[in-house]
Amino acid sequence: MTRRFEFIGLRTLLGREIHRFLRLPNQTLLPPIITASLYIVIFGFALSKRISPVEGISYELYIIPGLIMMSIISASFGNTSSSVFSARFQGFIQELLVSPMSNFEIVLAIILGGVVRGIVVGALVTVTCIFLADVPIHHPGPIILFAVSVATIFSCAGFISAMWAQDFDRLSVFQNYVLTPLTYLGGVFFSVNWLDPFWQNIAKVNPILYFVNGLRYGFLGVSDVNLWGAAGFAIVAAVGIFFLCYHLFRIGYNIKT
Amino acid sequence: MRGVPHWSEELPVQMKTDTNAISTHRLVKRYGKLTALHGIDLRVGEGQFVGLLGPNGAGKTTTINILSGLSNKTSGDVSLFGYDVIKSYRECRRRVGLVPQEFNFDLFAKVRKILQFQGGYFGIGKAECSRRALALMEQFDLTEKQNTPARYLSGGMKRRLMIARALMHAPRLLILDEPTAGVDVDLRRSLWSFLGEVNKSGTTILLTTHYIEEAEALCDHIAIINQGRIIDQDTTQNMSNRLSHESIVVTASRKISGEAIRSLADLDPQSGADGHALTLTFHRDTVPYESVLQRVLASGIGVANIQPADNRLEQVFLHLTKSGNQQ
Repeated sequence: MTRRFEFIGLRTLLGREIHRFLRLPNQTLLPPIITASLYIVIFGFALSKRISPVEGISYELYIIPGLIMMSIISASFGNTSSSVFSARFQGFIQELLVSPMSNFEIVLAIILGGVVRGIVVGALVTVTCIFLADVPIHHPGPIILFAVSVATIFSCAGFISAMWAQDFDRLSVFQNYVLTPLTYLGGVFFSVNWLDPFWQNIAKVNPILYFVNGLRYGFLGVSDVNLWGAAGFAIVAAVGIFFLCYHLFRIGYNIKT
Repeated sequence: MRGVPHWSEELPVQMKTDTNAISTHRLVKRYGKLTALHGIDLRVGEGQFVGLLGPNGAGKTTTINILSGLSNKTSGDVSLFGYDVIKSYRECRRRVGLVPQEFNFDLFAKVRKILQFQGGYFGIGKAECSRRALALMEQFDLTEKQNTPARYLSGGMKRRLMIARALMHAPRLLILDEPTAGVDVDLRRSLWSFLGEVNKSGTTILLTTHYIEEAEALCDHIAIINQGRIIDQDTTQNMSNRLSHESIVVTASRKISGEAIRSLADLDPQSGADGHALTLTFHRDTVPYESVLQRVLASGIGVANIQPADNRLEQVFLHLTKSGNQQ
């Protein structure tokens, strides 16, 4: 009798995705820690004395949730985009296409691989920040919710980017022209309240603003945006983009003729 | 390479009443305005060793891709062991092992891992995957390379790894797309021998190849595909017997005289460029082979060698594909 869900296949593929980034710690795990540490030293320790506290919180602490969110976004996106693109480029995505695994299981395993890397990197950066700046944890629930949902969203975004890209140049398009500007303009280093009303309205169209502030609420207990709205948006976006990935894979977008 | 995998019989076997390993009915595949397959009807019985022959662009790889799940059909029915390839894809894929033409494994992964992952995708537990991977590496002389990333393997080793990977889940149908393309003679012979053993153990094999002699040596059935249509399908023996005329090449130890050639005029003698060889063609139903040999000897040609002029199956193949192209 046909099993409805192939756990062994799912576990194998997820294991491969995790094994992939664990075997390359110098590319996948250590750079985000070094980057976050440098941001804390330069922007936090060096410049925080010249910048007034934000909502009663020192600038060095204020930027830390944004740095953690940046590392989660970058790691989860990078994992799926490189994994799926390599699999397409080298042809070994065919190993999956000819296997008895369902499209849903394949997509779920690959996305979960990106989520795991995002969470692992986020946790490592968090530990580093606690060590360097003694960052508090006010509300663990929102931290977990936003970390997991954002890792899912950007793991899916990496998946879509890799399905769409036909070469290495195109693979970098989404990261360079969309992800990086949105991340830097997403309130990592500033409060939207510092902006003129016009730019505040522009900033509020940026989804990363809500994710950064959601995490900031979890760590510091302050936020520029409505927390429930941000949480609802993150969950809906995560589910929606996952099913978009599933749809693209199911129709064989750029992988089946 | 050593014997066939010994765990084949351990896998659960679900039989259906349809005993065809492969069955396609009016299979059509279109790429935009281009029709690659024009309603193919292909039957491959269980246990057969079938060669799918055709010129470049005939539709061989498209057919294989649809059977294995790499391409979506446009219309028609495709079933493997009685299971529809779309509705019962899990049942189908568990039974199929694919060896594609191009190397398609993770070049950064180690040989052992490639095999173990493959087993896992097919629902085989970790311990069993390890056991099978070790056995297959032993069988394909890859044990010493088990911790070597695939990119460091030689071309022959990569080819062996592709076949080993396809056998990890002990498929009942093995599909090979040009498996010996670009491999040396030793490995080719070794692969032929191995594939013969795999087939004898009960595994159905569908093979595409450009080497007609390979198909003739290995396959008990041949299907010829041209311009997206199966234009003939028969046993290899019947297909070879299809030609009613026979051609032989007689090589002489000295230059063949005009008188000798004239004495064989009714056998359509064609002299070679150096005058030492003569090609004779005759209708084998009316002219016995023995009488041809007697006449050649009686003509006074100092015979050094006699051999068939061409590969017979190749002649049939060229005849069929040529007439298909002219239509």
